[in-house]
Order: sequence, then structure tokens, then C-alpha cells
Amino acid sequence: MTPLRGSSLHGRTAALALALVAAFAAPGARAQGKAVYDQACGVCHNAGIVGAPKLGDAKAWEPRIKQGVPALYAVALGGKGGMPARGGNLNLSDTQVKSAVDYIVSQAKVRATTAVASAPPAAAPAPATRTAAAVASTPAAQSPPASALPTSAAQPPAAPAATAPTDPPASSVAKFAPGPTTVAAAVPVRAPVSGAQANAFNRLLRPPAQRNLPPAEDGIHDPANDGTQLLQPPLEAFGALPRSNAGNRVDWVKALAETRIQPRVDRVDPKAEAVVMDLNIVREVKGSMPDVVYPHKQHTEWLDCSNCHPAIFVPQKGANQISMAGILLGEKCGVCHGKVAFPVSECRLCHSKPKPTAATAAPAR
Amino acid sequence: MNPADRYVPRRRPRTRLAVALFAIVAAVLSALAPDAGAEYGDVVINNYSDGAGMRPVVFPHWFHRVRYRCKVCHADLGFQFKAGGNQINMVKIIDGQFCGGCHNGDIAWSVENCNLCHSGKPGTLTQVHESTTSQIASPPARVTAK
Ligand code: HEC
Ligand code: HEC
Ligand code: HEC
Ligand code: HEC
Ligand code: HEC
Ligand code: HEC
Ligand code: HEC
Repeated sequence: MTPLRGSSLHGRTAALALALVAAFAAPGARAQGKAVYDQACGVCHNAGIVGAPKLGDAKAWEPRIKQGVPALYAVALGGKGGMPARGGNLNLSDTQVKSAVDYIVSQAKVRATTAVASAPPAAAPAPATRTAAAVASTPAAQSPPASALPTSAAQPPAAPAATAPTDPPASSVAKFAPGPTTVAAAVPVRAPVSGAQANAFNRLLRPPAQRNLPPAEDGIHDPANDGTQLLQPPLEAFGALPRSNAGNRVDWVKALAETRIQPRVDRVDPKAEAVVMDLNIVREVKGSMPDVVYPHKQHTEWLDCSNCHPAIFVPQKGANQISMAGILLGEKCGVCHGKVAFPVSECRLCHSKPKPTAATAAPAR
Repeated sequence: MNPADRYVPRRRPRTRLAVALFAIVAAVLSALAPDAGAEYGDVVINNYSDGAGMRPVVFPHWFHRVRYRCKVCHADLGFQFKAGGNQINMVKIIDGQFCGGCHNGDIAWSVENCNLCHSGKPGTLTQVHESTTSQIASPPARVTAK
């Protein structure tokens, strides 16, 4: 099987595997816990970023689980050290966060069982852990801990170095961060890995998604909904616009500057004009990366001063702590970049001012 | 990952092909990645929809930013920069708040077109799609042979 072809099947099969597991072993709660985990917790807990205990690492979890599941709920909801309240996703309800904790606990136990009894009966671990998780989740279900005030505990983890290397290459596009380890644990039947598959060319790089898919094929719209068929496919709109290499693959700055689009500045008045301020702020960057030039011009074309000041940035040069780790987690510039404005993979759009002392590494000879 | 995955099997006959390959492929799942390729910046809003038996709402940023600057929504209409962070519901909309500031049959088509907004796959969680966190690589599956 070629990696490319295989990869598109993986997704479906994975989904199927998950569905099978969900159907046989743990309907509802378990599936939700996993979904929440993958969305909000896996970024750190899959790889152990900023010191997060890894999913399924029984050793790391055992002492924590011993404190009792309610204590884990409390930390997951309220935060602790590098662990932001609700994993930094304040939208999650108490129930969702708890279901993710239950899932984490169940995975630690599955792994532990597997490690001790090296050949567990195929389907045994899952139901057992489900019961454990279900029991554990009932008593604490209604009591958010006093420390659950989300904002106070949600601090950025202080380890930029840990997150930086996990940056995707600029060419990686449009695929979801999966929680693969969880599949391994969740699938009761284990098939052998053939050598060819173990040495797949791209082990971590997710296959390039087809880009700018029409709504009915994009995976989030329901193709069975009649309204979906009426929605505009992105490529129909993007055809006339200057392209870029990431995000929507549209250069929105250029599209606006060349008046290929004329987005309104006012809800009703098509003639209102933007209040544009041309002020560049240079932020010096330690190390080899070029300094960051923050341009007010391109931003005030789209945004109001109040969108950034003072909630995201104190309006004073150098008064704000900004780091790449924070940006990757959706703070500061990352509030928009990596969400709606061009993504973080486009390093040079921000890091645009070469160092005065050419710090560029000379090729080793 | 996209939680909508859970719903994949019941919607596609193509999964049968996958069934055939299940035993082989399950071992090498390097990803739970759905073959979803949501458009960058699409926001699914699902605080209440699933609970109310409606499909989740999908808000396309790209479509709206062709027509409006960010400030119109995020400053003038008061949308917070937070998927699901605005407690939007239908009463607010018909009273002219949030989406209702425009989807009022005057500036843009009106609220009767339920299915244009409520167009998401049931069960899709509230989130902004294709964001940074979905780009960060996770470790591949370590599956031991049987
Ligand atoms: C930004 C990275 C990050 C994210 C996202 C994250 N965690 Fe954590 N988590 C950590 C770190 C770091 C620790 C270790 C904290 C410590 O022991 O000081 C931790 C610890 C934990 C613990 C153990 C608490 C204890 O008392 O030992 C639980 C449970 C937990 N996280 C659950 C979650 C859940 C559930 C989510 C998703 C809703 C999540 N985490 C998302 C970084 C993260
Ligand atoms: C600032 C005004 C404004 C706001 C606020 C607004 N929209 Fe729109 N929306 C529009 C306009 C204008 C159109 C194009 C209408 C037309 O085609 O006649 C549109 C079209 C759409 C479309 C159809 C896209 C297509 O493919 O044709 C969807 C879906 C949509 N809006 C959803 C939403 C949702 C959900 C919200 C609230 C979360 C919202 N809109 C808020 C102005 C707005
Ligand atoms: C996209 C976000 C954003 C928007 C919108 C924005 N700013 Fe700023 N502003 C910044 C950043 C980032 C800084 C640099 C802060 C730092 O260096 O710590 C800054 C700095 C400033 C400063 C300090 C300059 C100095 O030399 O100390 C002023 C004044 C300012 N902004 C005014 C405005 C005004 C007026 C508007 C609206 C016309 C505006 N900003 C819109 C992000 C923004
Ligand atoms: C409130 C949202 C927001 C924040 C916060 C924000 N940006 Fe932007 N930025 C935008 C938008 C919108 C654009 C227009 C281009 C796009 O959408 O891709 C833009 C464009 C830019 C551009 C222009 C690129 C070009 O092609 O000319 C640079 C550079 C940039 N941002 C850097 C930064 C930096 C550095 C920070 C943090 C100090 C930051 N931005 C914070 C929304 C934001
Ligand atoms: C949206 C704008 C933006 C993008 C895109 C961006 N950076 Fe940054 N980067 C910043 C800002 C702002 C800082 C903080 C500068 C300072 O200290 O004031 C920073 C700091 C850094 C630092 C210094 C260490 C730290 O965490 O402060 C490194 C290294 C770095 N970036 C690497 C990268 C790489 C590699 C990429 C591409 C994958 C990238 N950046 C993309 C804005 C950006
Ligand atoms: C312009 C976009 C838009 C249209 C059109 C629309 N809705 Fe909604 N609706 C929303 C948004 C946004 C929410 C909040 C979604 C959430 O958080 O789950 C919502 C929430 C809901 C909810 C749950 C919350 C509540 O208010 O009870 C129901 C039920 C609902 N809509 C029904 C409808 C019906 C029925 C129609 C057609 C008559 C309709 N909607 C048309 C955008 C829209
Ligand atoms: C037509 C209205 C509209 C326009 C125009 C608009 N947005 Fe949004 N934006 C929304 C809605 C609706 C949400 C979701 C809010 C919710 O779920 O309650 C949102 C959410 C966001 C978020 C939060 C994503 C997250 O992290 O959860 C960011 C960031 C954002 N928008 C940035 C922008 C930028 C930058 C622009 C301009 C390029 C822009 N928006 C233009 C309506 C708009």
C-alpha cells in the first residue's frame, strides 16, 4: 500500500475503529472523553510537552491517580503549573473536562494492565476501565472546585523550547492533530506491524489535505443537509484573489490592497472608510531568528484599536511579554494568527527584519 | 481530531472498503485524522445546538471577510475572539444581536434559513478549524505485535 493512498484510508478506518470500540466497549461517555481529549488535551499530553504526563504512561499517571480522581478533576478544571485550567479551552464544560480526565485515567489503566499481564484477553481492559471511570465520575460530577476560576490559573507554560520543535513544516497543511496513541490502546485486537508500514516515508507529517474543499466534502458540514448544497465553495470565491501558501491560501493583505475585495468597514454603510494607522513596532528576538516587525497598518485596515488594546496588548512598545510558545497556544499574536489570520507556519511574514549582525548560520564546510 | 469522526461510519458506504483493510491498517494508524479538510478559520458553534436537536452552526470566516472587516463583528457587534464564547442563541439573533445584526432579511438573508447556518455534522465540537493546535504533530502509534 502506498503511503498516500493508505493515508486517506487510515482516517476512515480509524474512525471506524473508534466507532467499533465505542459500540462494543464504551458508548457515549468514552467517545466524548476521547473527542474532548483529542481536541483540547492531546497537544500537550500526547507528547509530554511542557512536562505534561503522557497519555497511557502508567508510571507517570499512577501516583497522580492515587490522589483520587476528584483531585484530578480539580487540577484539570482549575489548572496547576504548566497545566492550564480546562487545558486552556475555557469553552469546555465541567462534564467535558471530566470526561477527558476519565478517558486519560482509563488509558493509563489499560496500559498498566497490558504491561503487567502481557497478553490480556482482547476485549477485557476496555469494559473494566469503563466501569472504573463511570464510577469515579459520579460522586464529583456536580462540584466544580473552588479553584476553578479559569482565568486566574490559565498561565502560559514557561518552556518555549519544548513547543518550538513541534512546529509543523511550512508545507504541512490542513489535517487534524490526531491522537494516535489512543487508537493503539483503544483497539482491542492488535494486528502485527509489517516492516513496510513501520517505515512509512512520512511517519509524522500528515498527508496534505485536499485544499479549499467544497462544504459538502470538508468534514464539518453535514452533506445530508439541504442547506449545505447552497453554500459557496471556497474556490469559487478565491479564484480571483491573490494566493498564498497557507491558511485559506489567499493573500488577504494583497487582496485588500489591490481592491480585489472591498470588505465593508461599517455594517450598513458601504462607503465608510477604515481608520488606518501606519506605525511599525520592531520586537528584537534573541537568537538567530530575524526580528519581528509588527505593522499597525495591515492590522488597522481590518481591525479596530479596541480589538487589541488593551485586552491583548498594552499600547506601549516593549510593554508586552510575547513568546512563540504563547503564540502557538493562541495567546498574543496567536489570538488571530493560527486561527483566522495567516497561520504561524509563515515565520518570515512576522520575522521580517534581518539582524544587523548577520546571524545567519554559514554552511558548515 | 475532529470529533465528527464518530459519525463517519453511518454516513458513507465507502467505509466498507475500509472494513476490508481494517486488520492491516488498524496497526499503522498514524493518525486518527479524518479526511476532513475544513476551510481555515471555519468556526463550529455548538454550545446548545446538539442539545436542542439542531445541527451545529458553521460560521465561515473566509466568506464573511470578503464582505466585512473584522472590526464590524468583533468591535461593533461585540463578538469576542473565542469560539463558543458569546453565548449566542436564537432570541438574541432575532433581536438583532450577533448574527442577527445582519441576518435580518435586510442586509443578508434572514433567520428562516435555518439550514444555512445549522449545517454542521451532529456532534461536532465547538472550535475554530485548522488552528495551530491541529497542526502540531503528535507521536505515531506504538503498537506491539500480537
Ligand atoms: C498546555 C499544555 C496542557 C494542556 C493543553 C493540557 N494539559 Fe493537563 N497537564 C499539563 C502539565 C504540564 C501537567 C503537569 C502539571 C503538574 O504536575 O505540575 C498536566 C497535568 C494534568 C493532570 C494531572 C493533574 C495532577 O494532579 O497530577 C490531569 C488530570 C490533566 N493534566 C488533564 C488534562 C485535561 C483533561 C486536559 C484537556 C482538557 C489537559 N490536561 C490539557 C499540561 C497540559
Ligand atoms: C456583519 C454582518 C454579518 C454578520 C454579523 C453575520 N453574517 Fe453571515 N452573512 C452576511 C452576508 C452579507 C452574507 C451574504 C448574504 C447573501 O448571500 O445574500 C452572509 C452569508 C452567510 C452564510 C452563507 C455563506 C454562503 O456560502 O453563501 C452563512 C452560513 C452565514 N452567513 C452564517 C452566519 C452566522 C452563523 C453568523 C453568526 C455567528 C453570521 N453569519 C453573522 C453578513 C453577516
Ligand atoms: C492587531 C492588534 C493591534 C491593533 C488592531 C492595534 N494595535 Fe497598537 N499595538 C499593537 C502591538 C502588538 C503593539 C506593540 C506592543 C509592544 O511592543 O509590547 C502596539 C503598540 C501601540 C502603541 C505604542 C507605540 C509605542 O511606540 O510605544 C500605540 C500608541 C498604539 N499601539 C496605538 C494603536 C492605535 C491608535 C490603534 C488603532 C488605530 C492600534 N494601536 C491598533 C497591536 C495592535
Ligand atoms: C486581532 C487579531 C490579530 C492579532 C492579535 C495580530 N494580528 Fe497580525 N494580522 C491580522 C490580520 C487579520 C491580518 C491580515 C492578513 C491575514 O488575515 O492573513 C494580519 C496581518 C499581519 C501581518 C502582515 C502580513 C503581510 O502580508 O503584510 C503581519 C506582519 C502580522 N500580522 C504580524 C502580527 C504580529 C507580530 C502580531 C503580534 C504582535 C500580530 N500580527 C497580531 C490579525 C491579527
Ligand atoms: C504572527 C507573527 C509570528 C509568526 C508567524 C512567527 N513568529 Fe516567532 N515570534 C513572534 C513574536 C512577536 C516573538 C517575540 C519577540 C519578542 O521577544 O518580543 C517571536 C519570537 C520567536 C523566537 C524567540 C523565542 C521566543 O519564544 O520568544 C523564535 C525562536 C521564533 N519566534 C521562531 C519562530 C518560527 C520558527 C516561526 C515559524 C514557524 C515563527 N517564529 C513564526 C511572532 C511570530
Ligand atoms: C444566521 C445564522 C442562524 C440561523 C439562520 C438560524 N440559527 Fe439557530 N443558532 C445560530 C447560532 C449561532 C446558535 C448558537 C449555537 C450554539 O451555541 O449551539 C443557534 C442556536 C439555535 C438553537 C439552540 C439555542 C436556542 O436558542 O434555543 C436552536 C434551537 C436554533 N438555533 C434553532 C434555529 C431554527 C429553528 C432556525 C430557523 C428558523 C435557526 N436556528 C436559524 C444561528 C442561526
Ligand atoms: C461576520 C462577522 C465576523 C467577521 C467579519 C469576522 N469574524 Fe471572527 N468570529 C466571528 C464569529 C461568529 C466567531 C465565533 C464566535 C463564537 O463562537 O461565539 C468568530 C471568532 C473569531 C476568533 C476566535 C477563534 C478562537 O480562537 O476560538 C478569532 C481569532 C477571530 N474571529 C478573528 C477574526 C479576524 C482576524 C477577522 C478579520 C479578518 C474576523 N474574525 C472577522 C465573526 C466574525
